[in-house]
Amino acid sequence: MRFAFYPGCLVLQRMPEYEAATRAVLRALGIELEIIQQAACCGSPVAESFTAEWVYLAVYNLALVERMGHGTVATVCGGCTNSLTRGACALQNADVRAEANRRLEPLGLSVTGQVEVKHLVRLLAEREDEVRARIVRPLSLRVALTNPCQVFRPGGVMKFDDPVEPQSLRRLVELTGAEVVEYGGEDECCGATLYLADPDLALAAGRRKLEATQEADFLLHGCGNCQLLLRRFQRLIVRDEPGLRRQSLLLPQLVGLAMGLPEEELGLREGTWR
Amino acid sequence: MNHPEDCLQCGNCVTVCPVEMAGGHAIVTFLADPDATGYSVWLCTSCWRCQESCPGEVDIHRLMMEQRRREQAPAGYRAAFESILACGLALEVAQEELDQVRAAWGLESVRLPPSGLVQTLLRGSGRPEGREK
Repeated sequence: MRFAFYPGCLVLQRMPEYEAATRAVLRALGIELEIIQQAACCGSPVAESFTAEWVYLAVYNLALVERMGHGTVATVCGGCTNSLTRGACALQNADVRAEANRRLEPLGLSVTGQVEVKHLVRLLAEREDEVRARIVRPLSLRVALTNPCQVFRPGGVMKFDDPVEPQSLRRLVELTGAEVVEYGGEDECCGATLYLADPDLALAAGRRKLEATQEADFLLHGCGNCQLLLRRFQRLIVRDEPGLRRQSLLLPQLVGLAMGLPEEELGLREGTWR
Repeated sequence: MNHPEDCLQCGNCVTVCPVEMAGGHAIVTFLADPDATGYSVWLCTSCWRCQESCPGEVDIHRLMMEQRRREQAPAGYRAAFESILACGLALEVAQEELDQVRAAWGLESVRLPPSGLVQTLLRGSGRPEGREK
């Protein structure tokens, strides 16, 4: 089985390990990803904050997927998943579709609106039995997860899992043998998107998570934005309080480890995750 | 910004907002109290929890985005939008650098968006709207 892959600018440019681990886990399940060539920004929240026409950025990416002949595009960040899904919804309106095709025509593209957008959590949740069958090395880790907000909300658009208290990520983590540490902030956003407007406030939001997850061995993320704020920017939060420090893993890294996949394929240096 | 008619001022949105939890004041502060000051429509994590919690089914996201287009954007947003206009991506990257990283990771090569793409797609907004008050 083959899907188109939209990494989004953050993962494309800053997190090759997320793409590598995603590909490794999906390959083990018989799924190959084909990256979209010349993909553009998904459109939100940045372009959407300046123009109502942002939706044509999302639509352009969906048109590229259609040209590739794929019916599904896989994503790994919450933000892109949300923008592209809202783009697909907008295309159900005939007027939007007609205007989209007028704008795509000079680019040699067209769009019908038939592409489904699926985040990695969803792709794995839809294959829970296959994932379970591939677990060969159950992990004895204590993990604190953050649900990638925009994969589940708004519920009427995303139409996957419970929009307020989603369970699919938790179930996937439990499949790996890892224990999910309850900390009450599982459905609180990491704050990453806030960084563009107010870095200090974004770090304050991240700090709440670090403080609340002291009992966990690892933070577990299913979005590049969470990983960016809580791992890459963690030093900006921790400063001279080493007790706040937390290690973190991306969902496909955790699942891949439990599947017995080689650490280097998952973007993990040997032993560093233990 | 007009206070939405369907808003019950119940404050549910304030209690679930991660910006408020972190000590900031977002659009939800205005929804709960139309006379409030000291909030910003730019302080949002895009988590959509307010919208999901709203008994009046107010489209808070849309309200927020429409207000943003009338205001001066913070520097971080302006820079990201300029990047989208210039190269099609919110984060700028050189093709050569991308090729090197992807080769080192054994990932299939990828081409960046064509130049002029965004101007074709966003016809009415080749430049940011509402940048100046």
